[in-house]
Formats: sequence, C-alpha cells, structure tokens
Amino acid sequence: MAVTATGLAKRFGDRQVVDGVDLSVPRGSIYGVLGPNGAGKTTTLRMLLGIIEPDRGARTLLGEAHPRDAGDRVGYLPEERGLYPAMKAREAIAFMGALRGLDWRTGRLRAGELLDAAGLGHAATEKIRKLSKGMAQLVQLLGSVVHRPDLLVLDEPFSGLDPVNQEKLESLILAERDRGATILFSTHIMAHAERLCDRLAIIAGGKRRFEGTVDDARATLPSRVHYRPQRPAPAITTLLPADAASDGGDGWRFQLPAEGIESLLVRLIDAGHGIAGLSIERPGLHDAFVRIVGRDAAEAPAARPNAEMRP
Amino acid sequence: MNCFRRRLRQTLTIARRDFVATVYTPIFLVFLLAPALMASFSAIGGMGAASVAASGRDKARIVAIVPPELARPMAEADKRLRAVFRQGEAPAALATVKPNGDAAAQARQLFAAKDMDVSVVMFGPLTRPHILHTSRYSRSADYLGVVAAETLADRALGRNRPEVQPVKMVTDAARQSRGGRNQSALFAVFGIFFLTLFLSGQVIGTMAEERNNKVIEVLAAAVPLESVFLGKLLGMFGVAVLFVGFWGAIVGKLGSLLPAGAATAFADMAPAVGGGPFALLFAAYFAMAYLLLGAVFLGVGAQASTMREIQLLSLPVTIVQVAMFGLSAAAVAQPGSWLAIVAEVFPLSSPFAMAGHAANSPDLWPHALALAWQLLWVSLIVTLGARAFRRGVLQSGPARPKRRVKRGAA
Repeated sequence: MAVTATGLAKRFGDRQVVDGVDLSVPRGSIYGVLGPNGAGKTTTLRMLLGIIEPDRGARTLLGEAHPRDAGDRVGYLPEERGLYPAMKAREAIAFMGALRGLDWRTGRLRAGELLDAAGLGHAATEKIRKLSKGMAQLVQLLGSVVHRPDLLVLDEPFSGLDPVNQEKLESLILAERDRGATILFSTHIMAHAERLCDRLAIIAGGKRRFEGTVDDARATLPSRVHYRPQRPAPAITTLLPADAASDGGDGWRFQLPAEGIESLLVRLIDAGHGIAGLSIERPGLHDAFVRIVGRDAAEAPAARPNAEMRP
Repeated sequence: MNCFRRRLRQTLTIARRDFVATVYTPIFLVFLLAPALMASFSAIGGMGAASVAASGRDKARIVAIVPPELARPMAEADKRLRAVFRQGEAPAALATVKPNGDAAAQARQLFAAKDMDVSVVMFGPLTRPHILHTSRYSRSADYLGVVAAETLADRALGRNRPEVQPVKMVTDAARQSRGGRNQSALFAVFGIFFLTLFLSGQVIGTMAEERNNKVIEVLAAAVPLESVFLGKLLGMFGVAVLFVGFWGAIVGKLGSLLPAGAATAFADMAPAVGGGPFALLFAAYFAMAYLLLGAVFLGVGAQASTMREIQLLSLPVTIVQVAMFGLSAAAVAQPGSWLAIVAEVFPLSSPFAMAGHAANSPDLWPHALALAWQLLWVSLIVTLGARAFRRGVLQSGPARPKRRVKRGAA
C-alpha cells in the first residue's frame, strides 16, 4: 500500500473534524477522496502528509510511519494554491523540487521540459504574478511532480481550472499513474472521480462512509428502468412494479426488479401494451454519493471547519 | 540521506530563497544605502547647526575690565592656558576693556552690548576679581579667575618664572587600563545593539509573505516548520551579513583615508582577551544576538496575520532591543556584579553582555559556554515559534461561501 490510515481523528476546538477515518491506497492506483464541503478531506490529507498531527490513529506513507521520512518521494498540491509572485515560473518549479531534495540545476532543466510539455514553455521566464490563475495553478502542479514523486497528493486539483486546463490536468494525472506514481486526490466534482479513480473513499461528517471502486459505489443503488408502452392504458399500472412513477408523458420509471426485467416485459407484451421504448439506467457516482452521504449533506455547504488555513 | 542532512538542505533551500528574494530587488538598494541617506541628512543638518554655532561663536566673548597695562599680560596668559583645551571645548575668546567709572555698572552694561555676545565679565582687582556670568557659563567664570591668577603670577615672577619643558612618551601600559577595557566593552555592547537594532527587526514580517501568498502549506508539506523558521532566519541573517560586510568595507576604506589623529578616539580600546579574539567574539555574539532576537521577532511576527498587526509589533520589538542594550550596558560597567551575571545569563541580553565580558575579562572558556547556551535558546525559540505557528495557522479557517456538489462539472 502506498498510503494507509487507521482510525485517524482530529479535533479543532469543540469540533470533531475527522473521526476515525481508515484508508488504504494501493500503489500505482488513482485514489479519490470524495466528500461534501467540510467533510474532513483536507484535514485527512494534511494528517496523512504530516502537516498536522492526528489526535488519534496511525498512518503510513510509502511504508514510512513518519510521513516526513517519505517527504522527498511525495508531491503535494494544496487546495489553497500559493506561489511566490515575484518568482519566475521555472524558478518556482525548481524551488519546489529543491524543497523535495532535487538539486536546483536538475530542477530547472526538468522545469523547462515540463513547461514545454504543458504548453507553457513561453512562460518559463515570466514572473508568477504575470500569469493567469489557471497558468499559475498548472505551474504549481508541475512543481509538485518535478521531483518525480512516488506519491502525488492533490487537494481539490480541478477547482478553479477552465475545461481546457482540467483536461490537461487529467492527462497529467494519467501520465503520472503511467509513470508508476500513486495518485491520491480529493474532489467534490463527481465527473473527474468517475473518469479517473481506480478506487475511492467517501467521507462525510469526518467519517468514512464508503470505500471501494466506482462500480462498487454505483452498485449501492439499483438500476432504474425507463419504459414507454406502445399502447398506453390505465390498466398498465397493475402490471408495473409498485414503485413505478410516470415520467410526465406516456412513460414510466421504476427500479430494476431484483429478478430482472425479462418476465415483466413478457407480461406487458402479452397484455398488449407493447414496447415503444425501454432503457435501463445505471446510477451515476453522483447518485451513489448522494445516497451514501445523504442529500442534505451532499448539497449543503456545511460549516467548513478545516478546508483552508487561516490567512 | 539522513535526517540531519535533509533538514540542513531544506533549511538552506528556504534561506537561499529568502536571501535571493530580498537581495535581488530594487528595494534592497534603498535598504543597503539607508545609512548613507541617514548620514547625508545628518551631515546637512550638522552643517547647518555648525554654521549657526560658528556665527554665534564669532561674537561670543568673555570680558575682563582691567587697566590697559594688564591687557597684554592677560592676553598672553589666556593664550598659554587656552592651548590645553580641545577644539570646541575652549571658553569664548577673551576681550579686555578699560574701566570706565563704576566697573560693576559697566560690567552689567556689557551684557547688553550689540557688537559682541558676552557671557562672563570680570572686574575689580586681580587679587579679588568680581566675575559676573550667566548661569550656563560658570566654568568660563572659573577660567577667567585662573587667567587672573596666572596674570598675577607672571607679573610677580617676571623673568624668574620657571620654565617647564615636558617630555611626552606613549606607553603601552595604558592599553591594559581599566578605562581601556571599559571603552572596549561599551563599544562591543553598543556595536552589537546598533547592528541588531537595524537588522534583526527585519525578520518580523518575513512569514507574512508566505501567509499572504498561501505558500505556507506548500512549505509545511515539504519541510518541517522548524526548518522553515530557521531557514528564514538564516536567509535574513545572510542579508544582514551582506549589509555589515558592505558597510564594514566602506568604513574600513574611509578609515584608512582619515588622518592618524582621527583614530585616537579608539586608541585606548584594550579588550582583555586581545584584539584578534575580541573581533572574532564580537562577530560571534553579533550572530547570536541577531539569531536570538530574530527568532523571537520571527516567532511573534508569524502569529500576526496582517501588515497592520506586524507594524504594531514594531514598537514592542524596539523596546525589547533597547531594554537588552540598557541591561547589558549597565552590566559591563560593573563586571562581576550580580547585574552583570544576570545580563550574561538571560538569553536575550547574553550576547551583548558577553561581548562586554570579553573586553573586561581575559578568560575564553566562558564564551564557549555562553555561545552554546545562546545556540540552545535559538533552537528553543525557533521550535516554540514554529509550534505556535502550527497551532495558530495550520488548522482551520472560517466558513466559506456555499459550494454545491456538481454533477459532471467537468
């Protein structure tokens, strides 16, 4: 395992921000930590990285009991992006590499290569303050991978990026995984998690509510059937499952029966209703997320007790 | 890479960043040249004040109302006596005036004279002169009395007055004098105070940059906060060393151009440990004073979250520095006293007081102990500052605006 956490807990004042979180991140995987705002994602990541110490629980990072001992093999992009505005882009990347043990000369060389590959070669000698927010964010991301870490931890990496840069970031994450790195990232945007994650954990209220693959998460909800009869008639309701509800037109929506759809279709055809349209919809990760954490928790902003550092 | 080497590398990376970020800016030139600007303003002010003082001095007079036959002997006595004064310390020039009726009334009228600025007037017989003077010029009145006595002695002895021809020789014995040691001690205390007053306060706002730019989490994730703090302290110490080196070189060059007599102000300096070791200890204690006070200021300043708070902290910072200077200056004036021991042991005054100790006592071993003691406190203060910072900053923040879970927001 690249990362393990057992019973991690952290309290700030009278608020239990993280309450006994367990995680196991396989090496070489892309692992998502999902949760609504204020769920404890950032605090969990900070504890894993050793930025703050847990009140309870244990964690290992790349096999090290003390996260600092693995520091040079870890890359980190915090949720609160931050670079020195007066630094040039290439220097900023080399500096972040130097913090992780990369010598400055190699850091500058790799920074140039990374900037070129990201289409930011022209900005290598620009000061950070002159770059757009998205470009600066990419520079910081490149700074977190310049030392070729074994583990890349990204806290809300997609927030604030336009669609083009989000795509670049997805490509970079996949490239890092292909290089052999483990990627652990937090997000509240389901589409990224759905596309990228090999495994994920869902955290809410400081507790882990789910751990598994995206398919496992989806499987927590049954599929839904959307059926449209060829010849609608009121009597059809006697044949449909009890949870069937009109779609507002001639169609009906209901949960996929446990025994399958075939016998129901036979009964509908025999009764002369026919089939004008039929689709079986698998639930998305968003649906699973909402079900796991509860609709209120998923949509409420929550009091964010731990998502940022005090300015 | 072992833990120590990794910490050292991380610390130096932070120090390098801070040093470069500070030195490679136009503002640094202003900082570097600040003493020249201050000296220029002082020189302009000084020249103005000197000009005013000189014009006043031209008209200033001490006056003797004496018969004409005494005017010349008094002038000769005045000339002889005046030779012992340093420039600028001599009384105002002597003028002699013939008696004109009521000498006492004449003396009072002289204070209102328009063509000269009279501060002292002597009248009456030289054996019992009456001397009128304004309150500030009591010593000039004494001087006129001595001139009167000298004039009388000249007249009484005439050619029989013995002629003395002193032979002056410089001896090294003076270098071991208590006065020379005290002078060295005060020089050391004031020198370190002066340098730290200008330089160590600079570190107070250095964490503000990381907080404002939100770089702190990147640093905190990669580097222990203690290394961040120490790195920032060393970076700014590098800036201070550059500053001191720059001005040290300039003052050294200017010093060699000054006339030999100009160095007499320092001629009596005689540190007990010897010149070479004293210079080394001065440098070491300057470094310690900078690191100790800088660590305190860094730790305190790191807790401030706005520039306003940092500015407000400047006053207590200066007060602490002046207090340490006052304690140390009092201590070196009484070597071996309980006050001196307190100043030498108390961490923040220890570098100042021990620099003075080096001037007053030839033993070197206390300095090894003192430097180790001070280093211990540097690390202790840096650790405490980092912990306070971690507790105060690296935890939580206020609630943010609403952010909803997005479906397929990509």
